Amino acid sequence: MRSDERRRRVRGALAGASVYLVLIAGAVLTLAPFVLSVMTSLKTSRQLATEPALAAPQPATGRNYSALFGAGEGFGHALAVTALVVVVVLIGQLSFSILAAFAFARLRFPGRDALFWVYLATLMIPPSVTLVPLYLMMTEAGLRNTFWGLVLPYLFGSPYAVFLLREYFRGIPQDLVDAARLDGAGPVRVLLQLVLPLSRPVIATLAVITVVTHWNNFIWPLIITSGNTWQVVTVATASLQSQYNGNWTLVMAATTLAIAPLLIVFLIFQRQIVRSIAITGFR
Amino acid sequence: MSRRSGRAGEALAGYAMLAPSLFGLLAFLAVPIGVVVWLSFQNWDLIAPLRPVGLANWRDVLTDPDFGHALLVTALFALMVVPVQTALALLLAVLLTRGLPGSALFRVIYVIPWVCAPLALGLVWKWIFAPSYGALNAVLGTHTAWLTEPALALPAIAAVTIWSQVGYVTLFFIAGLSQIPDHLLEAARVDGAGPVRVFFSITLPLLRPTMFFVLVTSVISAFQVFDTVYALTQGGPQGATDVVAYAIYHEAFTAFDLGHAAVMALVLFAVLVVVTLAQQLYFRRRISYEIG
Repeated sequence: MRSDERRRRVRGALAGASVYLVLIAGAVLTLAPFVLSVMTSLKTSRQLATEPALAAPQPATGRNYSALFGAGEGFGHALAVTALVVVVVLIGQLSFSILAAFAFARLRFPGRDALFWVYLATLMIPPSVTLVPLYLMMTEAGLRNTFWGLVLPYLFGSPYAVFLLREYFRGIPQDLVDAARLDGAGPVRVLLQLVLPLSRPVIATLAVITVVTHWNNFIWPLIITSGNTWQVVTVATASLQSQYNGNWTLVMAATTLAIAPLLIVFLIFQRQIVRSIAITGFR
Repeated sequence: MSRRSGRAGEALAGYAMLAPSLFGLLAFLAVPIGVVVWLSFQNWDLIAPLRPVGLANWRDVLTDPDFGHALLVTALFALMVVPVQTALALLLAVLLTRGLPGSALFRVIYVIPWVCAPLALGLVWKWIFAPSYGALNAVLGTHTAWLTEPALALPAIAAVTIWSQVGYVTLFFIAGLSQIPDHLLEAARVDGAGPVRVFFSITLPLLRPTMFFVLVTSVISAFQVFDTVYALTQGGPQGATDVVAYAIYHEAFTAFDLGHAAVMALVLFAVLVVVTLAQQLYFRRRISYEIG
């Protein structure tokens, strides 16, 4: 009996150790490309050519980064344009999606359910299908290579955000809404003073998803802008790579700059994000 | 009286709140669908005025062996990515739900690549795969041209895609696993079922809703892969990685034939709808079979 117990314990410890082995191998594989690219970004081209690829830079140099912010490349400008796009899209998408979701979840009006079905149907439309027609429409409107050309298609909210917020708003107890109503609150006050404060988690989640999506957006900025004026960071990184093909130390500095701001946002909000991805998948 | 005016006011408020979002939905999702259908019957090279050409674009694209090839490459890519990614994510999810200390940390680490721009990650991997001064050849002690060898390029892109998404998919399986009631697993164990048996006859069937969601979204995103291809190979070598989304981009903005690109986009849309419906049918039949 006793030796049985011990054998079981040994087996459990072995199983635990092998689980950790797999998990650690996964973590190393996940993180290695990031570590290696940052290390490379701190080398000179000569160091990359003469030293082993996996060796730490000795000495580390900031030359690649200062070159990116120097006169010719304007990487700082691209970062600023991207930040502006992200902030404008974030504000527009959140406020318009919140309004629509509140109307669907909490107000009664003729045609409401039919309209909601239209929203659900548009969830099926893949972005690669609307790319070419949107380009035609923006060109006809004279918005090619403008700030509004970059943000307009996303500014008015996304059906996905409306869908997610509606589910959440519906979960707020009707008693609370009725009580506010009896106190004479109109729909706008119910939304601002009751529903919004109660929905902070889902709004934070959506905000992070929106920031990630639009910071990383590539194909739309790639086709709708040209030249440096409205170049976002992903497009700047891609054009740098094709311009300095093979200058890996400079390109790795650019990818590091393109990735770092979001990585910081992610690490700050990681708990909410990890929890909320699971929520957003299922209702 | 006041009640009726209250209801009218509520309806008015509803329409007003809906208006901006509805405008965006119509202008940037619904109208483009109409425009892309119309454009598929036009000739447009971005410079000369549009010219109606009837069914010529459709005939050209549907008989173009290169487009057939692009569809094939895309399907092949999905076949490389989805099964491996799903199996790996399931394995990680099972390991991460054993309540071991540190699980939360691993979960966060695995999601990191999903947060980063696929374009930037693609360029990082382009360096890793580089024949000279690249990290992978340095580790393996080889001089393989991973991205310019036709047989290796598509698997390389698939590997990068799996690497960047597996942690994200793992989160869905973790959520799914945590919804399986403990007493079912306990009952099976008491009946003498080993861990493998419990997994395949209890856990996996109960994960079916999660599995459906994961497979549908993974297939849809695999069929639309663009950024990673753009960063790593631009459709090359010799068309070995010419996936549909890249072919559409190339046709529209490098070859400047937007009519052809419109047809290709509509074919992709049709393929996605069919694949999604097929998966839905398959899963629905399996589920009802089980209940019946």
